[in-house]
Amino acid sequence: MKLCVLVKQVPGSESALRIASGNTWIEDAAALFEMNESDNYALEEALRIKESLGNDSEVVVVSMGPERVQKVIREALSKGADRGIHINEMPEIKSDPFATAQVFANVIKDENFDLIFSGLQSDDVGSGQTGVILGEMLGMATATLVMATEVQEGSIKVKRELESGWFQWVSMSTPASITIQSGINQPRYPSLKGIMGAKKKEMKVVDPSTAVTPEKQQSFANIYLPTADKKTEMIEGNVDQMVSRLVDVLKTEIKVL
Amino acid sequence: MTEREILDLDVLFVGAGPASLAGAIQLKRLFNESGCKASVAVLEKASEVGAHSLSGAIFDPRSLIELFPDYKDRNVPFEAEVKEEHMYYLMKGKKLPFPYVPPSMRHHGCYVASIGKFTRWLGDRAEEEGVDIFCGFSGTDFVYDGDEVIGVKTGDRGIDKDGERKPHFEPGADIHAKVVVLGEGTRGSLTKKLIQKFNLMEGRNPQVWAIGVKELWQMPSGTVTPGYVAHTMGFPLGHDIFGGAFIYGMQNDILDLGLVVGLDYQNPGVDAQHELQRLKTHPWIRSLLAEGEIIAYGAKSLPEGGWYSLPKLTVGGAMLIGDSAGFLNGQRLKGIHLAMKSGMLAAETISEAFAADDFSAASLVSFTDKVNSSWLKNELWKVRNFHQGFDRGLLGGLINSGLGLFTGGRGWGIKDRLPSHHGHELMQKGTAEDRYTDLEFDGKYLFDKVTDVYYSATAHEEDQIPHLHIQDMDICITKCTEEYGNPCEKFCPADVYEMVQQDDGKRLQINFSNCVHCKTCDIMDPYQIIDWVPPEGGDGPGWVNL
Amino acid sequence: MDILVVLENNKGAIHRMSLEAIVAAQKLAAEQNLSNALLALGADTGALASAAAIYDTGEVLTVEHNLLSVYNSDGYAAALRQVIDQEKPSYVFFGHTYMVRDYVPKISAQLQRPFLCDVISLNTTAGLTFAKQAFNAKLAVDLGVASEGTVLVSFQSASFNADLISSGSAQIREVAVELDETVIKTTSEEPFQEEAGGVDLTAAEIIISVGRGIGKEENLPIAEALAQAIGGEISSSRPVVDSGWLPSFRQIGSSGQTVSPKLYFALGISGAIQHVVGMKGSKNIVAINKDAEAPIFELADYGVVGDLLEIVPKLTEAILAAKN
Repeated sequence: MKLCVLVKQVPGSESALRIASGNTWIEDAAALFEMNESDNYALEEALRIKESLGNDSEVVVVSMGPERVQKVIREALSKGADRGIHINEMPEIKSDPFATAQVFANVIKDENFDLIFSGLQSDDVGSGQTGVILGEMLGMATATLVMATEVQEGSIKVKRELESGWFQWVSMSTPASITIQSGINQPRYPSLKGIMGAKKKEMKVVDPSTAVTPEKQQSFANIYLPTADKKTEMIEGNVDQMVSRLVDVLKTEIKVL
Repeated sequence: MTEREILDLDVLFVGAGPASLAGAIQLKRLFNESGCKASVAVLEKASEVGAHSLSGAIFDPRSLIELFPDYKDRNVPFEAEVKEEHMYYLMKGKKLPFPYVPPSMRHHGCYVASIGKFTRWLGDRAEEEGVDIFCGFSGTDFVYDGDEVIGVKTGDRGIDKDGERKPHFEPGADIHAKVVVLGEGTRGSLTKKLIQKFNLMEGRNPQVWAIGVKELWQMPSGTVTPGYVAHTMGFPLGHDIFGGAFIYGMQNDILDLGLVVGLDYQNPGVDAQHELQRLKTHPWIRSLLAEGEIIAYGAKSLPEGGWYSLPKLTVGGAMLIGDSAGFLNGQRLKGIHLAMKSGMLAAETISEAFAADDFSAASLVSFTDKVNSSWLKNELWKVRNFHQGFDRGLLGGLINSGLGLFTGGRGWGIKDRLPSHHGHELMQKGTAEDRYTDLEFDGKYLFDKVTDVYYSATAHEEDQIPHLHIQDMDICITKCTEEYGNPCEKFCPADVYEMVQQDDGKRLQINFSNCVHCKTCDIMDPYQIIDWVPPEGGDGPGWVNL
Repeated sequence: MDILVVLENNKGAIHRMSLEAIVAAQKLAAEQNLSNALLALGADTGALASAAAIYDTGEVLTVEHNLLSVYNSDGYAAALRQVIDQEKPSYVFFGHTYMVRDYVPKISAQLQRPFLCDVISLNTTAGLTFAKQAFNAKLAVDLGVASEGTVLVSFQSASFNADLISSGSAQIREVAVELDETVIKTTSEEPFQEEAGGVDLTAAEIIISVGRGIGKEENLPIAEALAQAIGGEISSSRPVVDSGWLPSFRQIGSSGQTVSPKLYFALGISGAIQHVVGMKGSKNIVAINKDAEAPIFELADYGVVGDLLEIVPKLTEAILAAKN
């Protein structure tokens, strides 16, 4: 089976975020980068499927961005992925899942992957659409928020997470593009031998601009610190008076009662 | 994978700092020249090179020129050449310029630099030259063959807080290496073990330490001169606490503000992070920072003892370089070039050892000879009694330093070697005094520790055994409270240690997740019961340009 | 119509988040003089349409097909796509539900139009701007649309207040769609419930969060009772988890989850920045703390300086009484 995992490199959750001049993105130089959390889970799921299917399966990791994204591709290779594809960045579409999916589709269409895995959403843009749009563009079945997988010859059954603690099993034939929810498994650590072995694995660099002109649909027009124009009402009085006012607020102003 | 891997390498540097990276690069070149096929690898506990690196810094390019003669064409990410230098004596409301700046405090020809940016650059060069860097792996112990070091063990990953294996548990590896070079930086944990096991401090002055705490401030566009350098003494530390502040201008209108505090004060209530906030109450500092906002915070200890506090540098199969050994010039406030030079000299020794196929103590000891006959010693010899003079307060220290200038470094102008004392033994029992009663943290300009820690981007896997091992917690809630007033709450710059009041008494809570890996607790705890060991690989601060 | 709001079925009633999307549509319609319509798609369309017809809207459409009676992403996408092709709305509004995340990107792909998802506000002061959160809600962003044509928009839970919906009366119109079995690539089994190993706090509407101020583990039931009474989930700041009083998946903050519920109760939480970054997007924040200087009060909509151990039990009682 040919498995593809889309991994994104994003600023770490503890990283400082400075807005870059132009106000459409953050200052890359100020951030510490890491693999997008749900992509890490997606990678682990793909690696486990490959291990359960035996040796004639292949996991290919694909990432789009500047040169620094090779670090997350190498990380995936050191965990057991077989080869990597680094797609050079196209900054003008980086906040557009549609155009991004178009570029991915163009680069990987001839690979004829059986399964494409991606994380549920990225920790920077967070649209959660790229995997689904890509699947749709390649004529694949799609499913999102997957919490478990069962792979058969020619098909896959996934456990989708629904709201409020409900779940649902959904089956589909391959090829399929699945987005993976964090917590589906416990991602492995790369071993020293894995890291050393990763250097020998193929990492192809692709420049998409010559092959496809993506149609940008949306963009970040202006990025800013959320302002809290808060007027705090300090509720006064004795305990009974405060409780009374609180219930009033909950009922008539916040309207949760 | 549930068994420990065994990896056979040739040379392993521990810690991807300037000492190890310069050493690794030099060694790879020497190996290439001699046709030796030995592998050179570097182990780094941070998830990426530079993430745990912190310094001022003023960078002396002396070693860089040796390693990269064409460094000026290499886009080394310095902030700027030092453009203007100032020295001030601060009092509560005033700032007095020093009438005379001694040559050792002049930094022309040096660069304002971020050690984090520099080590990332150096790490890239090392990988280009064929060095393997393994990030996210901590060195936790040695592999021995009798009394010879033959390797390093890396830590297990995936152990929960009860000591049980988690589902994705990955055991550590035993990395076998013919030579292990410890470039762990200040108060290295493997270094500490080696020094203890082989009694490497015998006959030496005890090492003395300081802590550096710093904040980076983003200032409005066009308001910061890259290459601006100012050093201060006086307020807030006064005359009895060693140290002083530094203010450096970086690129992109970032101002680098820091304070070095000697870890040999008498008042157990001294708190370096709080002193940094006090510094900011000075009207001059306030005027510098007023329009800005904090973007990063960090802290690290520094070895201040100088030449006579260097341990024996080699044992069979292992060597100490950089800050792990203590190659730092306290007077010039520079150590990066010394660290690099020590790594490069170590490389020469190692190359010779491979040629002779001899990694015994007798073979590696040539490192000490190389250090002795290099400019490394010349520089450190001249300042060998610098810190020790401050035992007599600020004035005494300055006089001693001045006399040293004319006598090639003699203590008080006459003594070859002044004694030094363990800083943790200098705290006076029963004298803990709160110097910070006036300090008001507003969360915008003056920060409490918890807020400052947030800006260090430090993160640890929460479900693990705390990496700060305390041999006897009872002492904390009894003896230490009485005698010293729990100084751990003060000397830790990251709010790791907290005495929590409960119904049935007090207990020590260890917020290990806040740890910035400065090692101050390991150094300063008066009973020496705190042992800092590396947490799970990859954990720790997330510094980009500290 | 200019704006089409797609209604989601929640056990035979209109999903709360669809009601919120209607409020958004009514706001936009009023401010820019646009027309809006509602669409009941899938199952129980009759019941949904009747429920929707009492709102201020141009008309209520229904789409029924046997291939839509059980949700599947291909069928829903294909059906809605046909409605959009036919009715040509400028905007299609949704609540940002798990279902919408599953099928609407497919429509975006088929129509080659943008899907602006998880939007938290719309602003008509200068043209029309949709804003959302980015970088784990640490930053906000105004979205730009590159070209003319239909725009798909989904709204984050509680970004609009369903209680502000205006009433009216509308006609119901059936819309026919053509669906073929071959379009549907998935087969679904019956949904089932499971003991949540980890609670997804990001989906909770109301969160009761405790900090150090709760004092000790024995006091937690006080907060849990409030959560029960008001219908919320329990969460905490890090110190409570560190002390082992709550499991780590309940932690809110930089090293835990980030939430923006309709209501966030901060009980005995000081407001340290590590915690605040995980909840400052909450629509309404009520803070109870003994310390009048606690930074949480700068962030709160309503603040009470007092002893939570005294106040919370009384509040719980009063809430239960109000509900009865």
